[in-house]
Amino acid sequence: MFATILKSRRHVWREWLISYLFLLPALSFFLLFVAYPMLKGVYISFFDYSLNNFDFIGLDNYKHLFQDKTFIQSMKNTILIVFIAVPLVIAFSIFVAMTIYKKNEFTRSFFRGVFYLPAVTSVVSITVVWASIYELNFGILNYITSLFGAEPIAWLGNPHTALFAIIAVLITTSVGQPIILYVASVGNIPTSYIEAAQIDRATSGQIFRKIIWPMLMPTNLYIIVITTINTFQTFAIVQLLTAGGPLYKTSTVMYGVYEKAFMLGNFGLASAMGIILAVVIGIISFIQFRYLGSDVEY
Amino acid sequence: MAARMKRLTAVISIMLVMMMLAACGSNNNTANSSTNTVKEEKPSGETEKAKPVTITWWNFPSFQALDGEVGKYEKEIIAAFNEKNPDIKVNLEMITFDGGPEKLNVAIASNSAPDLIYDAPGRIIDWGKKGLLAPLDDMITDEVRNDISPAFWKQSTVGDKTVMYPINTAPFMMAVNKTIFEKIGALDLLPLDRPDRTWTFDEYKKALQAVKEKAPDVIPSGFFAKSQAGDQGTRAYLANLGISRFLNEDYTQVAINTENAGKALDWIVQAEKDKLVISGSAALAAADVNDLFLQGKLAFTINYSAVLKAQNATLKKAEFEEVLLPFPTLDGSKPKLEPYLGGMAIFNNDDEAKIAASKKFIDFVANDEVYGKKNLIQTGGLSVRNSITGLYNDPEYAYAELAREFITDPPTIADGWADVRTFWFPELQRVLLGEATGKEALDSFAANANKAITDAKAKAQTQKK
Repeated sequence: MFATILKSRRHVWREWLISYLFLLPALSFFLLFVAYPMLKGVYISFFDYSLNNFDFIGLDNYKHLFQDKTFIQSMKNTILIVFIAVPLVIAFSIFVAMTIYKKNEFTRSFFRGVFYLPAVTSVVSITVVWASIYELNFGILNYITSLFGAEPIAWLGNPHTALFAIIAVLITTSVGQPIILYVASVGNIPTSYIEAAQIDRATSGQIFRKIIWPMLMPTNLYIIVITTINTFQTFAIVQLLTAGGPLYKTSTVMYGVYEKAFMLGNFGLASAMGIILAVVIGIISFIQFRYLGSDVEY
Repeated sequence: MAARMKRLTAVISIMLVMMMLAACGSNNNTANSSTNTVKEEKPSGETEKAKPVTITWWNFPSFQALDGEVGKYEKEIIAAFNEKNPDIKVNLEMITFDGGPEKLNVAIASNSAPDLIYDAPGRIIDWGKKGLLAPLDDMITDEVRNDISPAFWKQSTVGDKTVMYPINTAPFMMAVNKTIFEKIGALDLLPLDRPDRTWTFDEYKKALQAVKEKAPDVIPSGFFAKSQAGDQGTRAYLANLGISRFLNEDYTQVAINTENAGKALDWIVQAEKDKLVISGSAALAAADVNDLFLQGKLAFTINYSAVLKAQNATLKKAEFEEVLLPFPTLDGSKPKLEPYLGGMAIFNNDDEAKIAASKKFIDFVANDEVYGKKNLIQTGGLSVRNSITGLYNDPEYAYAELAREFITDPPTIADGWADVRTFWFPELQRVLLGEATGKEALDSFAANANKAITDAKAKAQTQKK
């Protein structure tokens, strides 16, 4: 009896050990490149850490940020970008997915490829193209609007249009993955459900609201959370198109992190900005899981 | 099983804490080592001739690319240096003006700075003030010291220590597309018949008006306020149009917030509306404006120099003759031009052998019989040495040498300069977008910049204690 128990325990132990050995490479990378930098970021945020300085200053970096008008403006801009861009990305992706999922394989693949292309293209290349589109004096957008008699607009130089110009670029680079996922997800909905509803004379709107939308909830949750997190971290487009201007109207928190850390060498302040952003993302992700997760149907 | 899980969690936690402590420990060392006063090292001549030394040189594209290959010329310098110094291996890493400064900040903060850098006082003096550089005084001979203007030494020195070995220079100026003026028959509106090419604000306005009226496809002039790159152009433009210094003479306060400079800024806003200045300048970077100039779409650009002229030679997309001009002044007084100054500095990485080897390399780059002049020409700049002139057979270089008499002390060596310059372009944007008058914006800049200077001085004092 005792020997059997011992043998069984050895077996469990060996299985446990082998499982963790398989996990070890991924776990090591996670600890080294994700967990450790995160904890280090929290640690650094309590220090005045510049090129030649490393002094503990407690919560001073956080106090400074909450009194810093440019940081508050950047946080407002970031939240505005998220609240505008994420719903538009979701709506546009579902619209495209609903439009193309019934088409033949070639058409589906073509459109998936077209919309996914910006996701795999370098952000630098994309912004260079958009910069030339938005250019005030020689840009194609102003040329097109001038054909309708409109005056040229400094799309990136006008405080009223710059943020929306950034959001437009952001949307084009963000819809690729959601479209692919939605097309796959919509294609997996059993046609018998939809056919049954059609027999009961349900309208297209009713079919979408009562059948397709609930069946898409697991995909929705994933896409909303991931798109929200990615949008909160908007940086490259801002850096390359506007450098946060004009008048900080397009500055985002991540751009601020870059500016403080890499341009000014103030790593403590930049870490504190990153921590505040992480907390905001954490709260919003929690709310999304809390309220959207409960509607998920598997 | 649960107990094992607990043990595993405990092991991972301990590992994590150890990693943090180890990293924090190394970081504290970094901070301590970098805040320590730079140690005095022996003169290079006294170092023992012994073990091979490897030094790392990070270089911006300070030298023009050879055969279109970035870094090829630098490799040629290293090869020639190695013929005379086979025991010193030089590892070259080319960095760009776009990402290089950020890369340097990260390298310094993470204790992995290079040994050598070829850069300008704007960054080098800041590093020097933070005690990150090795002093170079023991390698500067009396002959060299007396042959270089005190203004250049002022930009290369922190306290009583020389931290940058000045090599090349060129005053920042404007440039004009002379071909356009020839085509519209308005060459007489440019001050090219005067040896020093000085001119007034009113003469400049007439030249812009002529371009607007007679060359409708060409934008008369450029301005930019998107970001801080090239900000010396906007600084000097305003300082001359408004005949005001940028900072006061002891670098303790902003001096540009005068009535005249405010009016000059207001004029730029009005000129943009009148199509004399490019539209949308609030969203343009210095590089955008120079690109338009190189495409032949802009008559005047405000951020140019003999060095930039040489570097831009391959980037010109239209056939035209560009000519350097000083900034016009409100009352016709002598212009004040900020100099570009290039030189080499050594990071104090606590290795005497590397510091000594780096000094030998700097001496080779600056003073070698063959490569000294060759290097200067490859930078496209002039020598900082008064005795070295006539490097080029080009009238624009001859003029650039003459214009050295207009060189003023730049604000880039002020305490807290890295912070000060971040306040400049947002204020320009405010004016260009109609949110403030020129004087209001300059006063606001002065308030923020003065505070940054005061804070930086106070912090430096605290660190010294």
